[in-house]
Amino acid sequence: MGSPRSQAEETIKRFLSRANKDADVTAETSLFADGVGLDSLEIAELSSMLEDDLGDDPFSVGIMATTVGDILDYYSAEEQPSA
Amino acid sequence: MTVSTGRVVIITGGSRGLGAGIVQSYLDSGDRVATCARSSTDEIERWTNDPATAGRFLFRAVDLSNREQVDAFVKDVTDEWDVVDILVNNAGVARDGILALTPDDDVDTVIDLNLKGTLHISKLVSRRMLSRGSGHIISISSIVGLSGYRGLAVYSATKAAMDGMTRALARELGSRGIFVNSVAPGYLRTEMSHGLDEGQLDQIVRRTPAGRLGEPADIARIVQFLTSPDNTYITGQTIVADGGLTA
Repeated sequence: MGSPRSQAEETIKRFLSRANKDADVTAETSLFADGVGLDSLEIAELSSMLEDDLGDDPFSVGIMATTVGDILDYYSAEEQPSA
Repeated sequence: MTVSTGRVVIITGGSRGLGAGIVQSYLDSGDRVATCARSSTDEIERWTNDPATAGRFLFRAVDLSNREQVDAFVKDVTDEWDVVDILVNNAGVARDGILALTPDDDVDTVIDLNLKGTLHISKLVSRRMLSRGSGHIISISSIVGLSGYRGLAVYSATKAAMDGMTRALARELGSRGIFVNSVAPGYLRTEMSHGLDEGQLDQIVRRTPAGRLGEPADIARIVQFLTSPDNTYITGQTIVADGGLTA
């Protein structure tokens, strides 16, 4: 099993394929109209799939991710060892 | 643990009355059933201990107006069975009395459980359904949400709100294969009749074209149909099941 960040990347690509969106994305790719073009229901679906696969997700804790990288950074932050 | 291939069904308030009737119906149809209520009952104990149902029945003592308890309940269900195919929002509480004299705490109690509790568990379960792209949500409302009833203003308001939630969620989730409907029972032999005397019950029966009070099984059969594969096109509707009383 990979890191949470790589798992999240897999989940995002699996979701984009299911939603018939271009899954060839980078961290800079916008989730909205100027990128993959997700609407609010699709964001809810992505949020639910991330929670299913990783146990939590940025949208449910009030972080409004706008790019693929914002989502990945959320899981990268979880990997940081606490002081 | 008994392995079952049945659907996973969450029914709130399944410890007695109509809720227990719906639980029994889904257990009879071979499904896996999780229910919650404030406390256990003899029926809950029976389902928990009966070898025929024990492996596919889950009960948690939960106050539906407590979000943390509801979160834990839904997590327990998905930890046990991975998915939720059907949610039946049945739990409800009534405080009867003229609104002008109703304590604020009673207003809060009814709204917190009937409305906010129902919205919260619907939110949690709809997320699981969105992730899979299928599911059914049924809310048990009431004819008093449609016609009103003297002394039940708060309860009636919450039941009307559940029908509104049903229509909105059906529009929101329909494109993802999630069906959302409500069933509005009339006067049943159980919960809704508890505060009525014999004279009032006789009057209701006389005014009911079907000539009798409803039974939990009358409602359970409708819920079963709405959540069955046979229902391929009904969503966003409130099905009135009152023996013709409000026809």
